[in-house]
Amino acid sequence: MLVLSRRLGESVVIGDDVVVTVLEIRGDVVRLGVDAPRHVQVRRQELLAQVEESNRAAASPDDDAVAGLSRLVGDKDEDH
Amino acid sequence: MRLTTTTAPDAGPGFPSQSAGSDLPALDLVRPLLGFPDYRRFALARLDETGVLCELRSLEQPDLRFVVIPPAVLFPDYAPEIDEEVAEALDASNPDDLLVLALVTLGDTPQAATANLLAPVVVNHRTRRAAQVLLEDPELPLRAPLAAR
Repeated sequence: MLVLSRRLGESVVIGDDVVVTVLEIRGDVVRLGVDAPRHVQVRRQELLAQVEESNRAAASPDDDAVAGLSRLVGDKDEDH
Repeated sequence: MRLTTTTAPDAGPGFPSQSAGSDLPALDLVRPLLGFPDYRRFALARLDETGVLCELRSLEQPDLRFVVIPPAVLFPDYAPEIDEEVAEALDASNPDDLLVLALVTLGDTPQAATANLLAPVVVNHRTRRAAQVLLEDPELPLRAPLAAR
């Protein structure tokens, strides 16, 4: 891992067109500004991890569970 | 591009009208499900007659499947904002081409099932391109209970 020290207001440039700037430092919170082209997705890592975990939990449920949910949802649908 | 999910997905061409999905064009997940980067081709099929429960079944790993729902029936207020950039990735020029599906996590009981409204699968039913889209709205739940509806 490349480690760089930056002061408030300073930036790093990643590749040709991604610029990350330190906007504010307050205690243990650092605010970063990211300038990137639209096709570059910028995400919080922990959010990606949460979605990934949710996907794994959703993967390949067993048939009985699906049948049970189908009955529940079917009942709800008839209520409408 | 704001999508409404008030239109049932079966109103759109390309959505399976029968339970068998094997003869339908496969979906190509141009942005695969997070955690499943190797699986891009899925068949979309109904799991019940009402079309509320559907499944995405991997064409590359037949054991791999996900239950999905069109959110409109259970979450009528859900109207996710889809980036232009995502629409471009799916070759969608018209919001009507796009269909939103929420991934369902089943629990120990049917009542414990939840829907992921934060990162739905967005499908262009015209081109069959699809993507899991992590929406920008931090208020959207990753685990919205189905049974509370």
